[in-house]
Amino acid sequence: MGAKVKTMERRGSTFIERIYLVEIFKGMARTLSHLLRNLKDNSKLYVRHYPEVQPEIPAGWRGRHRLTTHDDGTVKCVACFMCQTNCPADCISIEAGERHDDKAEKMPVSFNINLLECIYCGYCVEACPLDAIRMDTGIFSLTDNNRQAFIIGLDELLTTPGAYPEEDQKKGGA
Amino acid sequence: MFAEVLFIAFAALSILGAIGLILFRHPMKGAMSLIVTMISLAGLYALLSAELIFVLQLIVYAGAIMSLIIFIIMFLNIQDNDLPIEEGRYLYLAGGIAVIIPIACFMIKVVKSIPAHQATIVGNGFGGVKEVGLVLFQDWLLPFEIVSLLLLVALIGAVVLAGKRRLLK
Amino acid sequence: MSLLDIFMIAVRVAFSAFIPLCFIAVCVWMERRGAGFFQDRAGPNRAAIYGFRAAGLVQNAADGIKLFFKEDMISDHIKHKFFFVMAPFIVFFCAIISFAVVPFADTLVLGGRGYVMQGIPMDIGILWFLAVTGFSVYGIILAGWSSANKFGLLGSLRSAAQVISYEIPMGLALVSMLIVYGTVNLSEMAQYQGQLLFGFIPMWGAFLQPVSLMIFVIAAFAECNRTPFDLAEGESELVAGFHVEYSAMKFAVFFMGEYVAMFASSAIIITLFFGGYQIPFLNTQALITFAKPVAFFMMIGLPIGMYYFAGWIRRNNVSHYPRENDPRVTEANVYIKCFWGLVVIIELLLIGILICQSGGSAAHVFVALLQICTFLVKVTMMIFVYIWVRWTLPRFRYDQLQKLGWQMLLPLALLNIFITSAVVIALS
Ligand code: SF4
Ligand code: SF4
Repeated sequence: MGAKVKTMERRGSTFIERIYLVEIFKGMARTLSHLLRNLKDNSKLYVRHYPEVQPEIPAGWRGRHRLTTHDDGTVKCVACFMCQTNCPADCISIEAGERHDDKAEKMPVSFNINLLECIYCGYCVEACPLDAIRMDTGIFSLTDNNRQAFIIGLDELLTTPGAYPEEDQKKGGA
Repeated sequence: MFAEVLFIAFAALSILGAIGLILFRHPMKGAMSLIVTMISLAGLYALLSAELIFVLQLIVYAGAIMSLIIFIIMFLNIQDNDLPIEEGRYLYLAGGIAVIIPIACFMIKVVKSIPAHQATIVGNGFGGVKEVGLVLFQDWLLPFEIVSLLLLVALIGAVVLAGKRRLLK
Repeated sequence: MSLLDIFMIAVRVAFSAFIPLCFIAVCVWMERRGAGFFQDRAGPNRAAIYGFRAAGLVQNAADGIKLFFKEDMISDHIKHKFFFVMAPFIVFFCAIISFAVVPFADTLVLGGRGYVMQGIPMDIGILWFLAVTGFSVYGIILAGWSSANKFGLLGSLRSAAQVISYEIPMGLALVSMLIVYGTVNLSEMAQYQGQLLFGFIPMWGAFLQPVSLMIFVIAAFAECNRTPFDLAEGESELVAGFHVEYSAMKFAVFFMGEYVAMFASSAIIITLFFGGYQIPFLNTQALITFAKPVAFFMMIGLPIGMYYFAGWIRRNNVSHYPRENDPRVTEANVYIKCFWGLVVIIELLLIGILICQSGGSAAHVFVALLQICTFLVKVTMMIFVYIWVRWTLPRFRYDQLQKLGWQMLLPLALLNIFITSAVVIALS
């Protein structure tokens, strides 16, 4: 028996606890102590002053997508449709075209991801045989005024840089 | 002057409420009109400077009893199409009025034959909590207790009857 | 009727109508910031006018404007539109007029005439409160019923049953208070509480009748539909209870009605159990005689208190992250200047009291103002208790709620009545 068993003490059966009032006062004293502490010095609040202070996003965090490039800046993606097939939200739509620069036979002509439908599961990243799609931009907050703006295309995907150095990626990036 | 205006307003409201109670088809509307009547009656008591009866009317009749009635109506959640179609209700109404008119005439006559008095406020603190309490618990203690006993009997009787029906099932 | 008479009537009616309304803002603000601080978060503190956030009070204005300009919808399935629209106003109106009988200062004697400081001077006092709070059930019932919505109906069923059944322990707890005070008039009750018990404890209802206080406070919480008795709203089960179908201003009226009811019942609790407007150890007579020393001590105490308050503002009204030319520091400076200005004005008034002849009408007015302030401070503290309990306790289950009401509070209240009357008879 390797599992550690922790026996919890059962509460609530003594007379004092059944009267309930004493316990209520105890609880109220607890909350009051929090209130007083925070009133005295409100820098003790457990809050982040977002948006002025941004949270730290670890490398493994799945943010907005991007498409990676070869060293010469051409798109790595070979339009194999693995990601599109795998996507549970069905939000990737790729159009393939012929490629003439000897790197591969196909390349995407258009590559659209609907971010409103995306559930940020990261399956596309897992599915890609070429490490061509990643979610390491560190962008977590997406806002706009119209829905069309949330369908991002090839240009945006290619131009957004990754937010983390390559070593972090190796350790387990998105 | 002011009191007269109030009196007329309360009297009109209470009669309107009573008419509404009879004429509205939906029970909720009827009950709400009854509340209007109850509250205006309380207003009339207040004009007579009978403070205790005024609040009791508000607490007991307009408050407790009516809220129970409305509670039940809400509980049953009656919709308009659940209500029975009442044919000839205006006929019945007219008949009722025809029966009542002679009695009402008689009543008005009786009221008029009461020797006219200038309406004055009776005694100091008439109708206040203390005065009513003193009268109730000194002069009328026995009748008061008998009435409360009667109510108790009625209460227990209701409980017994309700319990019996459940047993039979 | 002299000009003064008319003025005093206007003052007291205005007070009892507007103070509850003003306190809506205070209550909502206290509720939100308090909730935040109880839970170690900040609460709404971003809404600002030109960078002035007034500790989050601006958020209330923003919400008010939002609710005012929202689309006011009545969906088509609602058949009884008249009742639907009327319901929130019943709740709101009942809450406001239930405050009307609470005295907020002792009878003010000016030029040989006494002026009762009560919205509607009525002898029946507490009975009026009972009657009027009973009426607010109609608003809740009508709202839930006319919404023609399952959740609404369930919510109002719960709420109505709860209010009706908690009115009984509340009334019984009151009966024992009435036995002690020997009156139903709230003014007389407050005057009674100006005495001293054994010469050193203020003769407050809370000390005379702690059991009654307990029962009354619990019942008052239930009457206001506040946590731990807020099953009528129960977001997790009933969406929003009886006001699911309400939107925009109609919802806001419900919302405000709830806070006014909270204010009114706090005021009643204060008047019944915590001495109303009485300052402990200093009843009205003593205050009038010692008006000058009291004013003098206030003159000394105010700047000292203000000094520490200013320090507190300066320490806490800063940005808690690196920021150059922190605008919150300038903001804090403006607040501090405003408060110092207020203190200076009050000091000038106090000097006025000091140079006036003692025992004159200036002293009387001063005492009345002091008592109004005491009353409001006490009521604010009671409202704070409401908020405090709300953010501490979880919600009851419905059967637990009814069990508590009928099987615990009711017998306890009855027992309390018997014991109290026995003691009162033995003592008299
Ligand atoms: S993260 Fe998931 S849902 Fe989003 S595009 Fe990739 S596979 Fe589709
Ligand atoms: S991103 Fe990867 S998986 Fe998707 S089409 Fe391109 S190469 Fe294939």
